Amino acid sequence: MQEPSYVLEISHLNKCFGTHEVLTDISFTVQTGDVTCIIGASGSGKSTLLRCINFLEDPTAGQILFHGRDAETQWKRAEYHAKVGMVFQSFNLFNNMTVLDNCVAGQVKVLGRDRKTAVQKSVQYLDKVGMAPYQNARPAQLSGGQKQRVAIARALAMDPEVLLFDEPTSALDPEMVGEVLAVMRDLAQGGLTMLIVTHEMSFARDVANRVIFMDQGLIAEDGAPSEIFTQPKQARTREFLSRVLNR
Amino acid sequence: MQLPSSFFGWVGFLLEKYGNLFLLGTGMTLLISLTGTVIGFVIGLIVATLRTIPVNRRTPGTVRALKALLNVLLNLYIEVFRGTPMIVQAMVIYYGAMQAGLIARGTPIPVVAIFIVSINTGAYMAEIIRGGIISVDKGQKEAAQAIGMTHWQSMVSVVLPQAVRNIMPSIGNEFVVNIKDSSVLNVIAVSELFFMSKSAAGAYLRYFEVFAITAVIYLILTFTVTRILRLIERKMDGSATYTILGSQTFSQSAITIREEKKEG
Repeated sequence: MQEPSYVLEISHLNKCFGTHEVLTDISFTVQTGDVTCIIGASGSGKSTLLRCINFLEDPTAGQILFHGRDAETQWKRAEYHAKVGMVFQSFNLFNNMTVLDNCVAGQVKVLGRDRKTAVQKSVQYLDKVGMAPYQNARPAQLSGGQKQRVAIARALAMDPEVLLFDEPTSALDPEMVGEVLAVMRDLAQGGLTMLIVTHEMSFARDVANRVIFMDQGLIAEDGAPSEIFTQPKQARTREFLSRVLNR
Repeated sequence: MQLPSSFFGWVGFLLEKYGNLFLLGTGMTLLISLTGTVIGFVIGLIVATLRTIPVNRRTPGTVRALKALLNVLLNLYIEVFRGTPMIVQAMVIYYGAMQAGLIARGTPIPVVAIFIVSINTGAYMAEIIRGGIISVDKGQKEAAQAIGMTHWQSMVSVVLPQAVRNIMPSIGNEFVVNIKDSSVLNVIAVSELFFMSKSAAGAYLRYFEVFAITAVIYLILTFTVTRILRLIERKMDGSATYTILGSQTFSQSAITIREEKKEG
C-alpha cells in the first residue's frame, strides 16, 4: 500500500459561530517540509482556520486528515496535538512555571518521557532559540520576543511534525520581531513543516514556498510566493497586497 | 474563698480555673476550621474541575446528558449549601440524619462537625475557585491543550495553580469565617471555643470577662492565620531572582537578576 504523501489534508472545512460563517469550504494539503504562509486581512478567518486545524475551535463541518487518517476520530487527541504543535500570538507560556518547566511539562505529562531526558531535550531546543541561559527565569521576567522564542522551544520539545504559527510576531514590539523571525527562518531551513498565519509579507515572500491568501472565509488564491506577490491573479489579492506593501 | 473584685482579677481567676477549657475549645475550633477549610477546598477544586469538563461535536449524546445531569446536581449542591445557614445545616445533618438512621448513634461529634463545615465550605469554595479559573487567561488552557494535555492534566498543572494563587485572599477569608462561624456548632454540642466559654461563664455568671477572653482568643487565631496565609502567598509567587546561566565552560559568567518584590 502506498503511503499517503500529504502530512495534512484539510477538506471542505466549515466553521460557523452561531449563524455567522467564518470559514467556507476550505480545502488544501500540506506536504512534508512545506512552509506555508497564510495571509489576508483581519477577520478573513486565518486564525480561526489554524485554531480549527488544532481543534482549539471545533470545526462545524469538514475533515482534517493527518497522514491520511482522520485527526478527530482516528488519532488520539493527545498524540495529534503532540505531532501538530502550535505557537500563539500571545505566547501563552505557563505563567506558573519556569522557562525550563514550560518545555519539560508536556514531554513528561503527554509523551511520558522521564524528567532527565525531557530536561536535556528542553535545554537543547532552548539553546537553538538562544534562550538556554534564561531557563530558570519565569515568563513574567522575559521580554515579548524572549517569551515567543521560549514558546517555540516548548513546541519543538514535543518533536512535532507540523508547527502551526498564529501571528507569532503580531504582539511584539517592532525591534523584537526580527529575533523571532530569525528563529522561524532557521526552522524552515531545517526542513520543519510549518503553517504560518502572518502579516510579515517579506517573511512570507522570502521563506515560504507557498502562500495562501484568504478573504472573507475563503481561500482566494493559493500559489508560490513569486506568483502571489508579483502577479496575483485575483483583484482582491492585488488590492490587499497594495494596501499592506505600500505602507 | 475570696472572689476577685476587678475585671483583670476575674480574668486571671477564670484563666487559672478554666484555662484547660479554653485550651481544649481553642484546639477543637482550630481542628474543625482547619480540616473543614482544607476538605472544603478539595471539594471546591473537584467541583470546579468537573463543571469545566469540555464537550465538542464528537462527544456522544450519553456523555453530554450525564454531564448536564452532573452540572444540575453540582449547582443544586452549591445553591442549597450557600443558601441555608450553617446552624440550620448542623441541625438537619446531625439530629435529622441521626433520626433518619443515616448516621450511627455513636458517631463522634467532631467528625460530624468537620463534615458539616467541609460540605458548607465546599459550596463556597466551588464558586471561589470558579472565579479563580475565570481569572486565568484562556490562552493558558489552550496552550496546555495544544501540547496534548488532557482536561485534567491542564487543570492540575497549569490552570488551577494559577487560579489558586489568584484566590488565596478569598481562601483566607473562608478560613477566617470558619474559625468564627464554627461557633454555631455549639447547637449540636460540639466542644469548640464558644461552647466551652459558655460553660465557663455559667459557673460564676461572669459573661463579660469570659467572653472578653474568648474574643481575644478568636482574634489571635484569625490574625495568626491571615499572617500565615500571606507568607504562603509570597512563597507561591516564586523566587524574585533568577540567574542567567553563563557559558558551559566559564560558569562565572552567570548573572543574577533580582526584581523588586511588589506588595499586594
